[in-house]
Amino acid sequence: MKFEIELSGPDGKKKHGLEFERKADASSVTIDGKAMNADAVQVSPNAISVLLEGQSFEIHLTRSIDGKIKLRCGPHEFSAEVIDPRAWRGRKHGAMEVEGRQEIVAPMPGKVVRLLVAAGDAVGAGQGLLVVEAMKMQNEIRSPKNGRVERMIAKEGQAVNAGEVLAWVE
Amino acid sequence: MFKKILIANRGEIAVRILRACRELGIQTVAVYSDVDRASLHVRLADEAYHIGPAPSRESYLRIDKLMDVAKKSGCDAVHPGYGFLAENPALPRACVHAGLTFIGPSAEAMEAMGSKTAGKQLARRAEVPTVPGTSEPVENSEEAQALAQNMGYPILLKAIAGGGGKGMRVVPNDAAFAGAWRDAASEAMNAFGDPRVFIEKYLVGPRHIEIQIFADVHGRCVSLGERECSVQRRHQKVVEEAPSPVVTPELRRKMGEAAVRLGRAGGYTNAGTVEFLVDADLNFYFLEVNARLQVEHPVTEQVTNLDLVKLQIAIAAGHRLPFAWETITPRGHAMEVRLYAEDPDNNFFPSPGKIISRHAPTGPGIRLDEGVYEGWTVPMDYDPLLSKLIAWGNSREETIARLRRALDEYTIMGIRTNVSLFRRILTDPEFVRGEIHTKWLDEVLARPRPPAVPPLQGTEQAVLIAAALWHSTSSDHASPGSAGPQSSPSRWKMEGRRQHMDHKP
Repeated sequence: MKFEIELSGPDGKKKHGLEFERKADASSVTIDGKAMNADAVQVSPNAISVLLEGQSFEIHLTRSIDGKIKLRCGPHEFSAEVIDPRAWRGRKHGAMEVEGRQEIVAPMPGKVVRLLVAAGDAVGAGQGLLVVEAMKMQNEIRSPKNGRVERMIAKEGQAVNAGEVLAWVE
Repeated sequence: MFKKILIANRGEIAVRILRACRELGIQTVAVYSDVDRASLHVRLADEAYHIGPAPSRESYLRIDKLMDVAKKSGCDAVHPGYGFLAENPALPRACVHAGLTFIGPSAEAMEAMGSKTAGKQLARRAEVPTVPGTSEPVENSEEAQALAQNMGYPILLKAIAGGGGKGMRVVPNDAAFAGAWRDAASEAMNAFGDPRVFIEKYLVGPRHIEIQIFADVHGRCVSLGERECSVQRRHQKVVEEAPSPVVTPELRRKMGEAAVRLGRAGGYTNAGTVEFLVDADLNFYFLEVNARLQVEHPVTEQVTNLDLVKLQIAIAAGHRLPFAWETITPRGHAMEVRLYAEDPDNNFFPSPGKIISRHAPTGPGIRLDEGVYEGWTVPMDYDPLLSKLIAWGNSREETIARLRRALDEYTIMGIRTNVSLFRRILTDPEFVRGEIHTKWLDEVLARPRPPAVPPLQGTEQAVLIAAALWHSTSSDHASPGSAGPQSSPSRWKMEGRRQHMDHKP
């Protein structure tokens, strides 16, 4: 299986090609054209143990708000965007079109300071729906798709928790 | 002994207290605000009652509501923890009125010692050396500024009711006075409901060394030795250790005697801490009394083999302190770091949010006192202390090595923490040599950051492999903030599993 991964880390941002295959009794991975012995096991929902040429690494992962993968290995932090071969067919790069009714959730706890649209309004993908203030920073929450605001659940001045549903976009 | 104790607090200290109660066979009653329903102290308690909305002035600071809960649930004692109402004499008074035992000093002893100015007056009477300053709260800004000019800058403004660095400001010169006065008073009002502030001469480069005292209700008062808490960021303790790297047995005896003298003079009972500033010539000056259990009490527990919370409960129940403790000496070394939900790369901004995953360190010489768990959302309404990581060993060197090892094992994903700050402190040559003072950390943080240790060879490749694997197992539901990949099998995952099996003997 082939992957293209854009990785940002302590050494900057770079695109890498990764190919995984299985041989008779050892697995090998080819990264940027270089073959290596590797073994990866998911040890918990958010941690993967990697043995690379015998060296042991523990990688912790979460999904960040922008859809990228945040990774940590010891004190080092990385951010990865994976372009999956399965996702290539017919998709515009970088702008994934989402389908169906979307729940808009608060990415962090904070306070709703402003509603930018109302129920029934037509909205475009990337258009601001409302502004949530958290830690004195104002964050615009945007629509993930072209559509219509089916319900605006959040109210101005309301305190919200991370993951709380703010609106539905249809 | 008590049958049921109300814990008038939240977070790690509420958990710490209810663990002690459980070991003693005492029932526990927790209280919680709107945002703490899912907090660990509520989950672990025998009973828990809602006391109001998130702001602490409408919940954890409401004595009337706490008394209602205590009565309704049939408690016979109240433990205040630290912070919130722990040093407010109105709480022990309300307890006496309601026929409850307050686990701490009496309201009178709290007033005689707990407030900074009263404590200073008492120290002078008990012949405990003090730092020059006003012993009364100063009423208005003009009067205060005139006093500051007389004393000579730099001076320090401190909240009468203060603690934990809140309501405290260093004023370097006359021009900065008015703003600092206003900030200190309003911060004190918000944190403690009391805006009064006093002035003190500011010593340059002292160490902060404090003595843990315990006094029973039968007139015995003992010192359990010192803790050094010189590593502070803006007056907030960050690393604490016992014993202090500079305190000699002779100095320990002198400071212990002074602290006990003060405790006796104030009619003190239960656990208290007498804080001192110690200068380069090892002269010590009384700073203040903390009339409660301290955040950093675990380091004393580790070098004395005592459980201070159980001791507090026993003393409140009228038990006597044993005679032998008058000559207690520390064994080994212990050190604590305070892990906060804050971002050291962004000016230590609080970083509340959901803890998506967490791996806690274990193993020899490691203790973790905390009130967090995987999946919990750290509320933005309170002090962002997550965990206290404590290590102990035979020597200071071994203890530091253990703490570093434990910090390497400790992972929290989803929120930012100040772990990297401790990596920096614990490898700093000055810290390792014990050459620290209360301004040391602020100075270190003002220096250019040492170059980051580059990742090990292969780290980037390992990260790429992990990203690909995780992506292929979780791409079907790439929703933000989700807790992890679903269990729908993918070719990659199955492959990984099969290999894992193959490698087993």
